[in-house]
Amino acid sequence: MKCDWVKENILLYVYNELPDDARYELEQHLPRCTDCTAELKSSRKFHALLSELPVEEPSPNLVAASRMRLQEALETTKQGSFWHRLIFDPAAWLRQVRFAPALAAAIFIVGFAGGIATTYKLVGGSGSVSSMISGTPSQPAESSITGIQSISQEPGSNQVTIKYNTVSTQETQGSLNDQRIQQLLLFAARNNYNSGVRMDSVDLLTQQPNDTHVREALVYALRYDSNPGVRLKALDGLGAYVKSDPRVRDAVLEALMNDANPGVRTEALHLLDPVRADSSVRAVLQRLAENDQNQYIKAQARNMLAQLPEFD
Amino acid sequence: MAGQGLGRIDDTVLVREAQRGNRAAFEELVRHYDQAVLRLAMHLTGSEHEAQDIYQDAFLKAYKSVGNFRFECSFYTWIYRIVTNLCLDHLRKKQVRKEDAPVATDPTGEQYDVLEQVPDGRAGANPERDLMRRELGTRISSALEKLTPRERMVFELKHYHGLKLRTVGEVLNTTEETAKNTLFRATQKLRGALADMR
Repeated sequence: MKCDWVKENILLYVYNELPDDARYELEQHLPRCTDCTAELKSSRKFHALLSELPVEEPSPNLVAASRMRLQEALETTKQGSFWHRLIFDPAAWLRQVRFAPALAAAIFIVGFAGGIATTYKLVGGSGSVSSMISGTPSQPAESSITGIQSISQEPGSNQVTIKYNTVSTQETQGSLNDQRIQQLLLFAARNNYNSGVRMDSVDLLTQQPNDTHVREALVYALRYDSNPGVRLKALDGLGAYVKSDPRVRDAVLEALMNDANPGVRTEALHLLDPVRADSSVRAVLQRLAENDQNQYIKAQARNMLAQLPEFD
Repeated sequence: MAGQGLGRIDDTVLVREAQRGNRAAFEELVRHYDQAVLRLAMHLTGSEHEAQDIYQDAFLKAYKSVGNFRFECSFYTWIYRIVTNLCLDHLRKKQVRKEDAPVATDPTGEQYDVLEQVPDGRAGANPERDLMRRELGTRISSALEKLTPRERMVFELKHYHGLKLRTVGEVLNTTEETAKNTLFRATQKLRGALADMR
């Protein structure tokens, strides 16, 4: 009976899917039973045999090409709207209806409490209304910013002045370490219509590439900004992280392969020099050395490959 | 699979942003998972081109319906569910096509698939390495192709992509117990098909 149980569970044992107690029991049984030990050996051998069919990693070229094709398709694709969901996903609609009474009660209670609190404040005459008007404007929600008008840095300091539009143009000042300033710079780097402003914000962000959000914004600018100058600035800021951050390396590789601007590609190639032995970098270099249209990049890629040690 | 726990915290924020229509957030989510998606699709289809089509369909479908994502499972499970459904469709179509595949007869009277004789001209194919693995790889691939699409999918996710059976069950909208039984069945069939190689 014990052997039958072991044989039924040996596959789960090989795949490390047995619970601890069953695993312990099986391991106790094995040294005492040659049949079950032989079965385990055979299962492991079979497991290893099937693993001979390798799971290939997608090449950087394939990943980059797939991403670009998807981005193009996303340009013309719309997300399912509320009405679409209502018509095509009645289950979701029913789920919402189920919570509707609770939601209505919650809105009623909040409204009632809010009403009482407001009345209390007005009657009490605390003066808080006037202080709100005369005080500095509260931090704007990102969604209320319609655009960044200009960015300037005071020479010799890390003080930055940013003019941005909400419903009307506003201005704010602060140090580069100020979270509000950083948020506005990140917003400008990603969303602004004016490439000069994007350039200024990326330039300032490169002073703090240690911050993860900043690094993400620089990678975003390198991948998607339409202005080559902004992409070059982003490359500048990312250069130091090519070695330590694989996502930065991937982005620089993408720029090397696909950027429309030869200057950006050349800069990307130089940045990758310290990591030329990396397998993904090596694969891209081989491709460029074989058939890149740009003769300079082709020759440089060959040089970099020639400096690599030979592998068997 | 590594860093999945950490990834999930980011994912929640990104999914909420994507639901508000932020395309950059959705593209970031794509970058979290697209290599795993390509790896799975390439291994299942054996073709970069078909893997790219599955990738494209999966993420477009995800983009259109991310508004319906209710956080009842992880985004990782959700995107894998979309991909495995597309792969299952692909495997089913492939099985039907295989029945109509051009078959020829060799001088000894044995039938063979004409398409399998076409040389692999893909860029990056290394002839020396391929030569060593070709026979073994072909045998394993044809044994895998004899499984039903569902058996193939369970085996693929467990053996080649290392998912836990519980996750395999979640991805395929079934129980862990059913996934376990399907894995047993698939393994038995494969052992039968590759008996002479052990």
